[in-house]
Amino acid sequence: MLSLTPETIWFLFASKNFINEYMLSVLFISSLFLLPDTFTTSSHAIDEVVVVSVAGQGRTRSFKGQVASIDEHLSEFSHVNLVRRGSYAWEPVVNNMATERVATTIDGMKIFYACTDKMDPVTSYVESSNLQSILLNSGLNGNPQSTGNIGGSLDLKLRRVGFDGDLFHLNADAGYETNGHLQVYGADGAVSTPRFYANAGFFYRHADNYKEGGGREVQFSKFQKVNAFANAGVKLADMDIVEGTFIFDRATDVGYPALNMDVAKAEAFITSLSYRHLWPEGFLNSWETKAYYNHITHIMDDTTRPDVEIHMDMPGKSWTSGLYSLLSASNGRHDMQVNYDLYYNRLFADMTMYPGGAAPMYMVTWPDVGTLNTGLALTDVVSLTDRQSLKVSAKLAWQTQRLNNDEGYHALRVFFPGMKQRYHQVTGRVALNYQLSILNSQLNFGAGWGSRAPTVTEAYGYYLNNTFDQYDYIGNPRLKNESAIELNGAYKLSVLNSRLTFGLDANAFFFSNYIIGQFENRLSAMTVDAEGVKVYGNLGHATIVNTSFSAGWKLLTWMAWNTRLSYAIGRDDEEDPLPLISPFAYTSHLSFSYKHFQGKVEVRGNSRQVNYGKKYGETVSPAWAVVGISGQYTLPVQGHDLTLRAGVENLADKRYTTYADWCDIPQKGRNVYVNLSVQL
Amino acid sequence: MKKVLMLFLAAVTLGFTSCNSNDDENGIVIDGIDLSKDVDCCSAEEALQVYKFLQTVHYIPELSTSVDGLYDVKAFSKTGTLHRGYNDLYFVVTKKKTGNYVKFFDIKNVTPLMNMVKMNMWHSTPVGGALEVLDTKRPAVKHGWVSLLMNTSEAGYWQFSYDIEVLGSKGRVEDQVVNVEALLEGQDWLKSFKVGNDTYYLSLVNPNDWKTGTNAIQAYISKKSSPATTPYAVAAETFTVEIDPRMPDMGNHTSPGNVALAKQPNGSYQGSINLTMTGLWRIHLTVKDAQGNVVAGGDSQKDGFSSLYWDVTL
Repeated sequence: MLSLTPETIWFLFASKNFINEYMLSVLFISSLFLLPDTFTTSSHAIDEVVVVSVAGQGRTRSFKGQVASIDEHLSEFSHVNLVRRGSYAWEPVVNNMATERVATTIDGMKIFYACTDKMDPVTSYVESSNLQSILLNSGLNGNPQSTGNIGGSLDLKLRRVGFDGDLFHLNADAGYETNGHLQVYGADGAVSTPRFYANAGFFYRHADNYKEGGGREVQFSKFQKVNAFANAGVKLADMDIVEGTFIFDRATDVGYPALNMDVAKAEAFITSLSYRHLWPEGFLNSWETKAYYNHITHIMDDTTRPDVEIHMDMPGKSWTSGLYSLLSASNGRHDMQVNYDLYYNRLFADMTMYPGGAAPMYMVTWPDVGTLNTGLALTDVVSLTDRQSLKVSAKLAWQTQRLNNDEGYHALRVFFPGMKQRYHQVTGRVALNYQLSILNSQLNFGAGWGSRAPTVTEAYGYYLNNTFDQYDYIGNPRLKNESAIELNGAYKLSVLNSRLTFGLDANAFFFSNYIIGQFENRLSAMTVDAEGVKVYGNLGHATIVNTSFSAGWKLLTWMAWNTRLSYAIGRDDEEDPLPLISPFAYTSHLSFSYKHFQGKVEVRGNSRQVNYGKKYGETVSPAWAVVGISGQYTLPVQGHDLTLRAGVENLADKRYTTYADWCDIPQKGRNVYVNLSVQL
Repeated sequence: MKKVLMLFLAAVTLGFTSCNSNDDENGIVIDGIDLSKDVDCCSAEEALQVYKFLQTVHYIPELSTSVDGLYDVKAFSKTGTLHRGYNDLYFVVTKKKTGNYVKFFDIKNVTPLMNMVKMNMWHSTPVGGALEVLDTKRPAVKHGWVSLLMNTSEAGYWQFSYDIEVLGSKGRVEDQVVNVEALLEGQDWLKSFKVGNDTYYLSLVNPNDWKTGTNAIQAYISKKSSPATTPYAVAAETFTVEIDPRMPDMGNHTSPGNVALAKQPNGSYQGSINLTMTGLWRIHLTVKDAQGNVVAGGDSQKDGFSSLYWDVTL
């Protein structure tokens, strides 16, 4: 099936056997996994959570298992950082690029967040139990459905039990964490026959305010979440499958200590219906067509905050409907995919402020922007020789946007008198990746070009206050598309019978028309206490470079040491540092595996952030390092598995904040967790 | 009114049927009403436009009268009431006999007078010039305005008088008491300033029509008469009114691209104002004379803005 390039990282919920085999470096893993077009999506022994980097770097596993949040899973990725605004709904940053430059899809479905303050990255609307894997494609080499993925694309693969599995299967998880009294309960069940399968599950999380290192409580950091999912598949004929999925996810009373407001409700309905035809032999492999619909309602809330100068209501809505059709084909040399996709998304948000005694003030912050986007993508993995392969991917997309809300349109016209009510954009990307394997080493390099249209916030956002730099942001409908040239390379070496591995990995993005908020001194801030106004603009050029080095050493059959160092640079057109670029970061861990026991001792840290985006309102983040210990024991009881996991995070109870902690909110202090999974 | 509507329904019906028949083209004949032969009255199209317009305004009974038992004179405003500050007034005359709108009539000497009860003093207020035809589409509607300095209260009340002449018949409305309402909180559309011994009034025209976004802003500058019981006419002098809209509830947030009010040939002042959201907008004013000297406002209060301002709440 797909061959994996260094830019492709698979993050999987895989079987226990897999874990044991793949605790350490294995370079080629693709065939072992549950790929989207695999006929039987097999194993529901989905008990463990693994993060695997094909580049052989940072290969770790999340010891919390299925109880871990999506954010915790994502934080195990080597190319991913997470921006925290609280203890819930972290924003994934790929290759030091955030939501604007990362395409996130759920099983290929487009979904767009509904909060103008980015409180709800779409990854917050699914749960671990919904997913089979998270596929991260780094850079421009995106998955076929992704659009605008300069930094990378995340595809959250939904979990399906598939046909021909165990007739019945039940799974239950419970977890507790001392810090914030986090409680997690989940249960799901599956039925599988040769012609039919169905899964359904329920997940609940609840957390009180957490405590930072040293024991001080971080106010407004609690959250609560329920998630339910169901999916089913029917084989109409041997080679024809109809599948449907449904997810309901609702978070309530979510605190955002880094922001001025919390969230009363963030709710998503995600549904899809797909039809797949498979060809067991021949050039064509499968043809999947999926229609989908999702909508998100997001309601902010400041009523529980003390000293609110002006109470505000800030609801946001996003709904998306679309389809894609993906044809996969392969012969000995080629492994091809052709994908057509079409979606229509609407984003609306408004704000009503209630000054004491005076008339309410109302404005439309996202003017009900309707985006119709359609694109055609091609991917081909060409096996040049046994040792060389070339991956080619390209996508061309066209979109039209209309501002459906007149009030919002006229408000924005104050700033852009010549603006229109409808805009069109054409975006595209093309990427080439070459891979050469010689003896015990592997070399990859690639190049690509891609562009993205401005996001709704960047083009039409209206007085969106950003607590990061305390500026009000106004969108700019005159923005040009941003584009980037990407160059990347990786080298991997394994010696001593694969007991010692080294990897080097680097990519560089050379942007044209980089979109970022620019000072506009002539405008007056709306938010009380705001420093001023920024309007999104295009910088002539900007550069982001990411590098990493990793090493793994299998000291003994039961003990291994892995370490990873990464460094990144971001520069604007005046060679000043861009904001939110990771400082020098390192992780190092010793892992143990003996019979049914696995354990890990880990040190993670960042150096002081030397090149911080001072110009963009970023403040320096000091160096930090924390130690964590975790362990897992699996007890096979008459064919049923019972797994107990426990660990301590931030062992020394250090108070620290990372560069990605919005407004320098402190990270969790010492946290002891225990969780239990049972499979029947 | 009902009659008129019926008339036009009938006219429309006839219009359709006439496509199919060869009716003579002498006009529409219904119940003895012969529009085409009443030269004082509107055409069917004009009457329809007047009728439609009257659906958007409300009747003020106190200012209405009849002339010689032949004509009904009706006054209208947006709400059917008057309020402090600028008010548009509309007059329509119908023939009692047929209900048809009369095109040609004159209303003169519109004189609002306020009796300040405690001091037993009388004064007038800014009033627009002679009433004019609203527009060419609606020749039977006459438009004028008054800008009332105060609302009716224990302190005083308003009386209105005017003269009317319709097709040679003369009439007068004399000392009709009309209630003048206060504006809601957050609305203050009439301000005054002094230059030497002269007092001027700044009347903001209909900010109720404003919406979020770019709006035309219109005002009149009137000069206090002597004696004060003579209606205050639009000032002959030329000024410029610079505007600085602020939101006092939002840390004096402002908007870009506002255009100062400049005098127009019709005597009004026009500019452009940008409002970024709804809520209370305090429009701080700087009035300059024809030479560019600041004659009013433009000073700095504690908050740093001019003490001369209009308040408008969207």
